[in-house]
Amino acid sequence: MKLKKYKQLRIIITIFVSIIISLAINSHSYLLTLAAVLTGMVFMALFRHKAKIKADERDITIQEKAAKLTYAIFAPTIGIASVLLLIPTHSGLAVFSKTDFTYLESLGMIFAYITLFMISIFAISYHFLNQKFGGGRGQ
Amino acid sequence: MAVDNKLKVYRANHNLTQQDLADKVGVTRQTIIAIEANKYLPSLGLALKISRHFQVNVEDIFFYKEDNDS
Repeated sequence: MKLKKYKQLRIIITIFVSIIISLAINSHSYLLTLAAVLTGMVFMALFRHKAKIKADERDITIQEKAAKLTYAIFAPTIGIASVLLLIPTHSGLAVFSKTDFTYLESLGMIFAYITLFMISIFAISYHFLNQKFGGGRGQ
Repeated sequence: MAVDNKLKVYRANHNLTQQDLADKVGVTRQTIIAIEANKYLPSLGLALKISRHFQVNVEDIFFYKEDNDS
């Protein structure tokens, strides 16, 4: 399978999956949405395997840099957002003590846990990759 | 100092298109374009592959270029 044909098939699958998802959401059938996404993923993987698409080193470098940039932007943003959402409810101000603002605290807590989860994943993956690439203890 | 290369010259001397060279060293044409334009520095593995393909040393193709201000 040529790269051009693979790209064409990828577009067709994307359109097909998008149509099924929009129809499934309209009919409130979330199981069908999940099935459509999974089917799309399986077909993409099959065609990719058949087309023998290899990720070349420039693509990998771009992905690494994009991931690094995403982390550098997303982690502080969501961390600061969680603090900003948690401060009003813990400030003791009467205006924020109403039940209307309780969702802010919940949202702030969710953001805080997401931030901690992300930092933990980064630390663990850094540790393992450091060992894989020759870094010893305390280096 | 910055790394420069003569990849375009070697490719032209061997009558190869960017796609031909890309296929021979197992990368995409975009990678070859980026290397020739000095927008992407290849890995040591790819640099060795390219130099082996042209049967020259790596430093014949990739070399340090002294900056004017340094």
